[in-house]
Amino acid sequence: MVVKAVETPNIGFDFSNHARNQFLGQRLQGTPKATSTGTTIVGVIFGGGDSGEEAGVCLGADTRATGGPIVADKNCEKIHYLTPQIRCCGAGTAADTEFVTNLISSNLELHALSQGRPARIVTAMTMLKQYLFRYQGHVGAHLVLGGVDSTGPHLFTVHAHGSTDKLPYVTMGSGSLAAMAVFESSFKENMTRAEAVALVARAIRSGIFNDLGSGSNVDVAVITKSGTEMLRNYETPNERSNKSRNYKFRRGTTAWTKENVRSLIVSEDVKITTGAGKDQGGFEAKQVPTGAGVGGEEGMDLDS
Amino acid sequence: MTSIGTGYDLSVSTYSPDGRLFQVEYANKAVEAAGVAIGLRCTDGVVLGVERLLHSKLLVKGANRRIASVDEHIGMASAGLLADGKFLGSRGRDEASSFRDNYNSPVTVQILSDRLSAFLQAYTCYGSVRPFGLSTLLGGVDKTGPKLFCIEPSGVYYGYRACAVGKGKALAKTELEKIVSKEADGQPGISVREAVKEIARIIYLVHDDNKDKDFELEMTWICTESGNKHAPVPADLLVEAEAAAKAALEEGMEED
Amino acid sequence: MANISSVDISRLKNGEVNLGTSIMAVQFEGGVVIGADSRTTTGSYIANRVTDKLTHIHDRIYCCRSGSAADTQAVADVVHQHAQVYTSVYGSPPPVATAAALFEKMCYDNKDQLSAGIIVAGWDKEAGGSVYNIPLGGGMFQQPWAIGGSGSTYVYGYCDATYREGWSEEETVKFVKNSGCIRLCVITKDKVERHFVPGNELPRFWEGKEVVGNMSGQRVGVTA
Repeated sequence: MVVKAVETPNIGFDFSNHARNQFLGQRLQGTPKATSTGTTIVGVIFGGGDSGEEAGVCLGADTRATGGPIVADKNCEKIHYLTPQIRCCGAGTAADTEFVTNLISSNLELHALSQGRPARIVTAMTMLKQYLFRYQGHVGAHLVLGGVDSTGPHLFTVHAHGSTDKLPYVTMGSGSLAAMAVFESSFKENMTRAEAVALVARAIRSGIFNDLGSGSNVDVAVITKSGTEMLRNYETPNERSNKSRNYKFRRGTTAWTKENVRSLIVSEDVKITTGAGKDQGGFEAKQVPTGAGVGGEEGMDLDS
Repeated sequence: MTSIGTGYDLSVSTYSPDGRLFQVEYANKAVEAAGVAIGLRCTDGVVLGVERLLHSKLLVKGANRRIASVDEHIGMASAGLLADGKFLGSRGRDEASSFRDNYNSPVTVQILSDRLSAFLQAYTCYGSVRPFGLSTLLGGVDKTGPKLFCIEPSGVYYGYRACAVGKGKALAKTELEKIVSKEADGQPGISVREAVKEIARIIYLVHDDNKDKDFELEMTWICTESGNKHAPVPADLLVEAEAAAKAALEEGMEED
Repeated sequence: MANISSVDISRLKNGEVNLGTSIMAVQFEGGVVIGADSRTTTGSYIANRVTDKLTHIHDRIYCCRSGSAADTQAVADVVHQHAQVYTSVYGSPPPVATAAALFEKMCYDNKDQLSAGIIVAGWDKEAGGSVYNIPLGGGMFQQPWAIGGSGSTYVYGYCDATYREGWSEEETVKFVKNSGCIRLCVITKDKVERHFVPGNELPRFWEGKEVVGNMSGQRVGVTA
């Protein structure tokens, strides 16, 4: 008999997923879509001027993540950390917002270390827009970027294709229209911190209740020169309450014509030995029940 | 060392103990053997002139020009190895045209001198190449006005009011200093038409009839009269200037 | 090639931010006046109602952007960087012609990936005020006045019929205001001066009073 002396090692590219994806694409009429965060994210600049308050930026986000019509996560975090004084809200493809903010956060840390001073918001904005522009919109991150640096408070939107806008109040995501309606009617320059937080929370609530893609809780971040405060689940307007009724059918709801009880318990003898083929006496295993009968453990009440 | 000498002149990448590059100094010798080239910056333009030595009586009159056009508004007169001059002229044209392509604007004489000097300097760093046997005058009129620069074999370059390179440059420079010093005394600067005559006179003065071969006078200018383009000095003016130069020379001899 | 002065919206990628735009620049003795609207849209939603499309390139050089916001911002950023390097290498600010050439190179070399219609304008020592139009395909045209963006077709006739050579700064500003620009910028040797025209101060033209009569005492006609 001829025996192959050397097995061909398993190396090189594996294209089997390509064939699978094509097959799925044909079957499903289009390739599957990535999880996307139907989202409401917002930001405002507050303080300064005659308000007598420290100037700062207040960011807000809802906490619903969706995959098509399904709520994938009821309490996710959309306010991402970039640096101690810079945060970034993400809408769009959840994975892309997560990875792009992680990457830029890492690069900003290295930048701060090499320059010997904290990175500015425009630096974060430029890094984000240049990265996103390079990927021509295929990295689906729609961001609200805010923070405070040596030059004061700054607030930007960054679209997936790499365009940016600098504004005193911004909204993004599927709930941006609902939230912008709140800002356009109630925004004031030089608000107090408390006013800003209340306005942001109201804008997010507007998204939560009026936009199907947004929901669950309100996350808020407040950034001033003296520090950043993350108010996780600042409001929880959709708390799950105890159900007033349960949906268990009572025993006996269904009538039957025949009753037949069978034992489903299977038992076998196992003889355990050690050493190759050497009978060391061993021991007999006990009979152990490996299954349970219907309703065996629950001990449900019988219907009377 | 098997032969004579210290060995410090064998490569341009070797310094002598007192910090000299002999190969670069030898390149300057090649320049000193060449016919003189003179540049003069005037109020209304720049004039370039060279003493083109003729090594054969069979050469076509007026051919084998030594002043090159690098761009519409810049001329380049070289003294030294003729082939090196052609090569540097070609490089200058490439630089000028790439500047136009990139910036949609004509290159200034200063920027071009800077680029070419960097090119020359690179030939003083490597053992595998020899420095250019050239001193080059770059003259032109750009947005900053009339400009004249001289690049030496080492790659160093300076801006000048007037400059002479090649055989007899010392005598030529003393003559040029007289012209330039007049302006420093508050008299009006020299015009290109006057400069043509002065340069012709100096070249005839510097030329040594006894030792040197015959020569042709070659002159170009960039001035208002030429529409700020680099062009040969008009034939009638050149003839006039040459006649005046010869007359001045006769006069000078009689005085002696 | 037809259709070089208006932006072909079908070139935008899905969901891309667009500057459905009116921009213009006009040369006068001693400088330029540039103008733009302030609207940025994604589909039918106004993503920014106070956009600044008059973008700084150098001390005395600005550009007006139309087309994709992302593309024009990216191109303007690159040219801005080139202009800064030029200044430190050559020791003098770049001429407007040079800035325009840098834009043209970017727009022409990447014509297949970009939707950018840009007008470059500014002042320099050699040429004074000058205007360069760089439409979609990446061509470059020096013009005494230029308009661009999807909205420019509406004022083409007005501009063409009204523009005259030899206008003063004030006359040129009035011309750009009357063409419907919200943001203006006057660039001369000595200044870069910005103006903002609020919506209610915009010039008004024919409003139907000939047909329906003068409505509730509203002012009708052209105002400067």
